[in-house]
Amino acid sequence: MSKIVSLPGVEITQRDFHQIIIRGNGSETFNNIIKEKTSVKPPLRNLEVKYDENFVFGKNSPDQWSLIFIDKKEHNQINNLVTSINVNEDLLATDCSYGQVYFEIEGSNKDEFLNQLTHFDLRENRFPKSTMAQTIVARIDCSIYNLGSKLILTCNKSYEDYFQKRLKDTALLSNAS
Amino acid sequence: MTAINNECPYISKNKITFSFDGKTFPAFEGDTVASALLRNNIRLVGRSFKYHRPRGIYTCGIEEPNALVQILSEHNEPNTRATVKRIYDGIKISSQNRWPSLKFDLGAINNILSPIFSAGFYYKTFMGPKGFWKNIYEPLIRKSAGLGKPPKNFRSKSIHQYHNTDIVIIGGGLSGLIAARKFINTKYKVLLIEQDSFLGGILKNTNKVESINDNSPSEWIKETEDLLSNSTNITVLKNTLVTTYNFTNHLVALEDKFSGKKIDLNKSELTLHKIRTSQTILSNGHIERFISFRNNDLPGVMLASSFEKYIHRYGVVPEEKPVIFTNNSSTFSLLKSIISLGCKPQAYIDSRRKDEIESEIKKFLKTNNILSYFDAEVEGCDGNKKIEKITVRQGKNYYKINSSMLCVSGGFNPDIHLFTQSKGLVKWDKQIASFKPDTSFQKTVTLGSVSGNYNFKKLCDEIDEKLSFLKTKKLNFEIKLNVSNKFSVKELWETKKKNNSNWSKTFIDLHNDVTTKDLKQAITEGFDRIEHLKRYTTNSMGTDQGKISSINSLAIVSKLLKKEISEVGTTTYRPPYAPLSFAAIAGRSTYEFYDPERKTSIHSWHLKNNAVFEDVGQWKRPWYFKAYNNETMHQAVQRESKILRESAGILDGSTLGKIEIKGRDALEFMNLMYTNAFTKMKPMTSRYALMLGEDGMIKDDGIICKINDQHFIATTTSSGAPKVLADMEEYLQTEWPHLKVYLNSITEQFSTFNISGPKTRDIMTRVFPNIDFSNEAFPFMTFKNFDYQNTKIRIMRASFTGELGYEIYISPKYGLELWKKIFSCGKAFNLIPYGTETMHLLRAEKGYIVIGQETDGTVTPIDLNYNWMIGKNKRDFIGKRSLSRPDTARDDRKQLVGLSPINKSDTIEEGQHIVEINKLPNKIKNPIKYLGHVSSSYHSPNLNQSIGLAMIKGGNNLLGQKFFVTVSGKTQNIPVEIVNPVFIDPENKRLTS
Repeated sequence: MSKIVSLPGVEITQRDFHQIIIRGNGSETFNNIIKEKTSVKPPLRNLEVKYDENFVFGKNSPDQWSLIFIDKKEHNQINNLVTSINVNEDLLATDCSYGQVYFEIEGSNKDEFLNQLTHFDLRENRFPKSTMAQTIVARIDCSIYNLGSKLILTCNKSYEDYFQKRLKDTALLSNAS
Repeated sequence: MTAINNECPYISKNKITFSFDGKTFPAFEGDTVASALLRNNIRLVGRSFKYHRPRGIYTCGIEEPNALVQILSEHNEPNTRATVKRIYDGIKISSQNRWPSLKFDLGAINNILSPIFSAGFYYKTFMGPKGFWKNIYEPLIRKSAGLGKPPKNFRSKSIHQYHNTDIVIIGGGLSGLIAARKFINTKYKVLLIEQDSFLGGILKNTNKVESINDNSPSEWIKETEDLLSNSTNITVLKNTLVTTYNFTNHLVALEDKFSGKKIDLNKSELTLHKIRTSQTILSNGHIERFISFRNNDLPGVMLASSFEKYIHRYGVVPEEKPVIFTNNSSTFSLLKSIISLGCKPQAYIDSRRKDEIESEIKKFLKTNNILSYFDAEVEGCDGNKKIEKITVRQGKNYYKINSSMLCVSGGFNPDIHLFTQSKGLVKWDKQIASFKPDTSFQKTVTLGSVSGNYNFKKLCDEIDEKLSFLKTKKLNFEIKLNVSNKFSVKELWETKKKNNSNWSKTFIDLHNDVTTKDLKQAITEGFDRIEHLKRYTTNSMGTDQGKISSINSLAIVSKLLKKEISEVGTTTYRPPYAPLSFAAIAGRSTYEFYDPERKTSIHSWHLKNNAVFEDVGQWKRPWYFKAYNNETMHQAVQRESKILRESAGILDGSTLGKIEIKGRDALEFMNLMYTNAFTKMKPMTSRYALMLGEDGMIKDDGIICKINDQHFIATTTSSGAPKVLADMEEYLQTEWPHLKVYLNSITEQFSTFNISGPKTRDIMTRVFPNIDFSNEAFPFMTFKNFDYQNTKIRIMRASFTGELGYEIYISPKYGLELWKKIFSCGKAFNLIPYGTETMHLLRAEKGYIVIGQETDGTVTPIDLNYNWMIGKNKRDFIGKRSLSRPDTARDDRKQLVGLSPINKSDTIEEGQHIVEINKLPNKIKNPIKYLGHVSSSYHSPNLNQSIGLAMIKGGNNLLGQKFFVTVSGKTQNIPVEIVNPVFIDPENKRLTS
């Protein structure tokens, strides 16, 4: 966990989470298998997010979910979970824990700050709490999970340096202007 | 006759200095360049574009065509509007487009030579003599083109800010502020955008409005600003100019954050706002237009409303005794302003008949004993670099008036630029003698003078009515006026010229030096469509976009064509409304942020070990590693290649695309996607595979790992990964929705290392002592999964170098640690890192292809002799049908071969042609028979000669024959022999050792 940006009304912290991507058909059987394996029932509506202090579970598209573990886990636990889900022929689970980076964005000015990097409409009526979006931030593909008081933003690990620099640069210029 | 300084509530009392053309002058904080120059009695500000005529300050805003200056203090920023640019202490400004000085400009010779430079002269000249265009005309034109000098190098820190909002109000004048007050604390998120540094618009430009709800205009503005700043839903952007109105209510606006302040290079000076709104309210007002008369460009001619603005906004009275020339009643407030300051106009000239003019104006003129000419017009002006004499025509009589300033008003044009950018339709309104908005194409409302309503009394009703569809507050403001509310304009576009001389000109476009004579000439030459005429004459194509003159030109043209103005129509208004810099458009996407960068988990190690990187897509990949500082790429690649074939080398292959494919129909899916047959392929084995387009041409390649019939992992090329995944998804969703298959990209989930060379097995055994790497236990093209520390790794026996090799896949978290461990274990075996260039050389020695190098979208597997990769018994795969088309089955298609120079010391170049002749003629008169091209070429340190791969027509049947490879810039070709493309280890002994 490291602080990337600290401005009046904007706090951005990089976090170490684990994540798995699950593909499936969203049927009752699918839901039951996932619930059995993860103890959480997958969100049903497209772009819906379920979350608590231990996890964030988002439905990225009609047949794709992302499960982010907020609580600390061993990598082997994640590997074992993936293996146990993949036993089922009609599901695909992939561990992408270290292929992604995670940023928590909080504060009253977080939307304005992010809108220096993305065209995405962050207004509450367009991007309500407990929903997620896949969009472009700083010209790269990102996922944003709206947890109400904070956003979790994820992008590919290979962009980590670039993305951190863009966040810091934006903070520097926001602060300066 | 001088300017006087007057008290002004909107200008600071803080004194500053600025320099213009090297001389220092006093000014006040809040001044623009123009107000400061006028304050110091400087009228001559620049030289015109084509004729280098002396020019002064014509307006007081964004519409300025003349007063363009160079800001030396700000990266030498050229073509800055003096009427907009606010100054600060110490700012350095210079005039432009003159040499050697503003007062004495040699370029003014163009004015004498003007008959040569008439409209469209460049279409008729520069035809000869031969060679003059390249050597004389073009360099000369390039040298003389443009106005200011280009800016110096600088690194902009302009930023972009996106907005999603409900309502955008453009223009913070009276109508914009009334509209904004209706939205205070409503459910709407509102953005109010004002181009100036203050709100109020016309309330601060004139004294037309006496009070609003019994408050003075400044009190009302203050009250409104307080209400807006305390509101929860309204944001006000000042110093922000909306330049663009795109489809779907998308607006672009440029904010100057250092307006009136010295730029801090560490801060962002410009913000480009990109706004998506549900509703746009245009309250951006109107622009006064001029009247064309002889020498209407002389310094001292100024638009009447601009003269008034300088008085009220900046406390500058540019001239104590100006002459006023008008065709409408709007100048009444100017008359009153001048008299109230204790000054007096030298004369008042009105083109209207006396009975057409409001009695209160006539009474005022009489009471103040102002020399008045009714039913009269200005014939022209004369003077040396400034107005000295004004000639007035009244009937058949001419009168000369001595004055240095002429205030002109030809009426007002609603500022329809943004409205027409939005594709709204306009119509001609005879009453205001101008075009005004008619039908909106988008969700656009126009309020106030932009809609053609110049009547303040009707403003509140108009706003209430037009915004009634929104849930707003009902507000009523009682607006009391100081002057008549009547506008009563009489059309007057051009006055009759008495004198003819080359020096005297009647301008229609001051910026581009277009005269009314040019319009007439263009029509005579057949350019009678307004869009053609615009381009032929360059009328209204300057950076001011003809804001004060374009309607005048339409009117003049309509008269020449004997048509109604509405029939002639308008030209197309295109964004931007006013110039904006490339730096603002680029925002932060420059220099280090020009393109997002992707790095592998080993990047830091590569940096420490002197890697030189190349861009592969957005990836930073080591190109080669320098063993010492002066080592060249050639030396490094030769060294890396040699050592790898003697001992071992390792490549960071993490950028390779990786896709996980799983589902009960995964086998069928893979059989359809790739040419290869996977049905009989054993689990935990891998296979080199090709993916074709529907045209049968090779699209991508990679290694397919089969875990079982329901589970595969495919690798792709580094840059092809997103496209391959997208294509797979598309086929699943559109062509084969019945297949139960799911895909995940796992490119980022694994760091991948390709280790190869004869010593590889020894190294791998040291790194993973518990794994049996023997040929029997771990044969070529198999893979295994292992537990490693707290994670899992996959190791595959494969090679792209032709040597014994393994690919290791590990989570990026553990990648760097394992990489270091491999080096630690490999030290004893002289393990080296190698980059992509060495990889290319090694694979070329082995005859392996690279997608995009040997293939170019026109190459089939058969062309590469990869028939063995086609599952001929498969029912179908993408591209199968195309492979049997007569054209793709031709024997004389270009086929992959190897090239070996006859003279081993010759070096052949990639991309060169293969021909049958040893020498090209000096001048090629007849086509030379072309056989093919060199697709790859390297100097092989292992063979000690140059080698090449080539695509040659009928290449399979040409083995052993001698041809020639062209050399760039030379006629002597290199003799080569066509050979088998596999130069090293054709029996695959090394690969399977």
